[in-house]
Amino acid sequence: MKFRCEREILAEALATAGRAATGRTGTLPVLSGLRLELSGDLLTVTGTDLDLTIQLDVTVGGERDGGVVLPARLSSDIVRSLPAGKVELDVADDDVRISGGRSQFSVRPLSLDDYPRLAAPASSAVTINAAAFGEALRQVVRAASTDEARPILTGVLLAAENDGLRLVATDSYRLAVRDLPGVSVLGADQKVLVPGRALNELQRVLGLGEELVLRLGERDATFEIGATRLTTRLIEGEFPNYRQLIPASHPNTLTVDREPLLEAIRRVKILARDATPVRLQISADALKLTAITQDVGNAVEELDATATGTDLTVAFNPDYLASGVEAVGAEQVTLSTIDPLKPAVVRGVGSDDYLYLLMPVRVP
Amino acid sequence: MVTDRPVLGADGGRVILHVDMDAFYVSVELRRRPELRGRPVVVGGTGRRGVVAAASYEARRYGVFSAMPSSTALRRCPDAVFLPGDHDLYASVSRQVHDIFHSVTPLVEPLALDEAFLDVGGALRLLGPSPDPARTIADHLRARIAGELDLVCSVGGATSKFLAKLASKRAKPRVTDRGVVAGPGVVLVSPGAELDFVQPLPVEALWGVGPATLERLRRLAIRTVGDLARTDVDALVAAVGQAHGRHLHDLAWARDDRPVEPEREAKSIGHEETYAHDLHSSDDVWREAVRLADAVASRVRASDQVARTVTLKLRFADFVTVSRSHTATSPVTTAAAILDAVAPMLERIELDRGVRLIGISVSGLGERAEQAEQLSFDDLAGEPLGVGDETDGGRGARRPSSHDWETASETIDAIRGRFGSASIGPASSLAADGLRLVRPGAQQWGPDRPVPDRQD
Repeated sequence: MKFRCEREILAEALATAGRAATGRTGTLPVLSGLRLELSGDLLTVTGTDLDLTIQLDVTVGGERDGGVVLPARLSSDIVRSLPAGKVELDVADDDVRISGGRSQFSVRPLSLDDYPRLAAPASSAVTINAAAFGEALRQVVRAASTDEARPILTGVLLAAENDGLRLVATDSYRLAVRDLPGVSVLGADQKVLVPGRALNELQRVLGLGEELVLRLGERDATFEIGATRLTTRLIEGEFPNYRQLIPASHPNTLTVDREPLLEAIRRVKILARDATPVRLQISADALKLTAITQDVGNAVEELDATATGTDLTVAFNPDYLASGVEAVGAEQVTLSTIDPLKPAVVRGVGSDDYLYLLMPVRVP
Repeated sequence: MVTDRPVLGADGGRVILHVDMDAFYVSVELRRRPELRGRPVVVGGTGRRGVVAAASYEARRYGVFSAMPSSTALRRCPDAVFLPGDHDLYASVSRQVHDIFHSVTPLVEPLALDEAFLDVGGALRLLGPSPDPARTIADHLRARIAGELDLVCSVGGATSKFLAKLASKRAKPRVTDRGVVAGPGVVLVSPGAELDFVQPLPVEALWGVGPATLERLRRLAIRTVGDLARTDVDALVAAVGQAHGRHLHDLAWARDDRPVEPEREAKSIGHEETYAHDLHSSDDVWREAVRLADAVASRVRASDQVARTVTLKLRFADFVTVSRSHTATSPVTTAAAILDAVAPMLERIELDRGVRLIGISVSGLGERAEQAEQLSFDDLAGEPLGVGDETDGGRGARRPSSHDWETASETIDAIRGRFGSASIGPASSLAADGLRLVRPGAQQWGPDRPVPDRQD
């Protein structure tokens, strides 16, 4: 295998696919590598850890077809550090030469025979708007758990809902629900659980195209954007019944400007160490935020706001609260509460398609 | 003693005593087995992997020391009487000893069940004029411990902690070829005599000089504390590191102003156990983990604290040790919460090669009353979200929530408080002869009977 191409193009391809290659050299060392395959002028770069696969096609100046597995980290570092301009990659028997300008590297490849065969993506495809889906992911993936102790909660639920698509995630402390009306990806009552990690990676490449092609298989899902394909294993299991968590009504509703609230949370958070909550004192025409950390100090901030219902004080993890407020795509947000121990709802004023439910912190 | 020096405690300066019980576990045993006095006695496990926890001075004559495998001890001293450890008893006697310390000064820093530092500066002022005030207090302590508890201790006194500890060592009985020779019982280092006391000692007598440091110091031809004192600090720092080098140099010049810190807060709470037979099945490992988690959680609650981080340690038959930690979002106070963290760790560890030791500990401790608690949907749903698949509208048995476990654990504590620790425990810890309890320190001497193999 031998080809030439612009340094930037190869460096970008290696870095993108490299995000799926595993750093852990455990069971299958070859997974720490990237597979490169050249056919004519088409170079296909693949990285996988068997859960997540990222593959992309780039056009290069091909000279000799073939395939090779390169150590992901090393080859990416090498290509990125070469002088700008053309780079050449030439595979001899047990030796890969990477050269550019007057620099030349020689790298030992990993075993091509050991590289796993990856299943072909499902043939049935649905096309959706990449930007809209990306925005929905931005709002929802943040609520997914990263705690491997509960694998089901590390996933984002994609479910058919009222002729549209609904995305749901929860880490058991907060819950994010986003509806994409009119987007029909799934059959009626169909639902899949996609690992949050894969969707995080997908968000990074969504800017590469306007259309996102989704192929759903039995066990995995493939997202195609431009010449990049991301395939992820689906999580098996029953997503919790999230509907029962959302209270039917909230007697108290606070309305406040989003940006000043975010800034206020960020400021008082300076005093909120570790598990210190931020307290919200809600009255009819003002909102007071406080954070008190014993033996350190305290922070207080007042904001203009309007509230209906009874005055009350409720405390939240500042990161969870800021995360929900930030996710809302509106200038004003509402925070609806029942009492200091029941879940509260964050919504954007005038945008009904997003809901962020979060549990308070019980303070002594 | 040098007479023209000032007497310790006479100048109103700092006086620190290090009190160390003589052969503590063995001495406690001898109170109820007086016929064994004068014989070599060993407290420790006699099982396959038993370890010596303590040896009488008579047994030490044969080269039997703590932490030695019991099998080696038995070979060196076939006449030794082996007694199983009774940690509960030692702990309760230790409390009595510490009560006596506290009757002298509130500034007591416990180091172990059988030793502590006492800052007696204030007590000396209360004592009033005395020709040899520190000795008066030391004698008083020894007399009370002997009179009230029938136990012997050695006392070292000095102006600093490390010198007091070295002095108590010199006060101890010594083992010689001709037998056990009583020690002086009290050794005091007078102010001004510190360098004469410490500098002739071999460097390994200093706190913090282990085998690795010793080897590096040897390369610098440092053998005594005096050699260390005369070595350039920069050379020391180059050999053993910045902080360690400076610290050792300070000690060699008898500079140690570390205060006696009463009630040292535990930074972690944990138990570990070595098994007589390696555990191979995940069921066996899980059963032991349940027992350990229950014991650890009990201690966390008893200390009125909550924990954040759970650590699992496994040592395999080939002595490879792995440990895994998980930091929970909610405060951990129950065995269920510990096991929630441990279960996924165990799932990802291959147990085939045989587990020799299991340890479970928690850290990130904080006071329970001050804790803000992040509430969770689990409490709303009555079951942990995304675990199990009981979605049939509550017809099946409801899984207990973390809140349920907390309530149940309070009840368990109350039952144990009234009827003893063996009155209630995890069902899986039930053996033919009752509950198998976890006792602190049990790992020191290993199991005294083999863990039964699974029959079913």
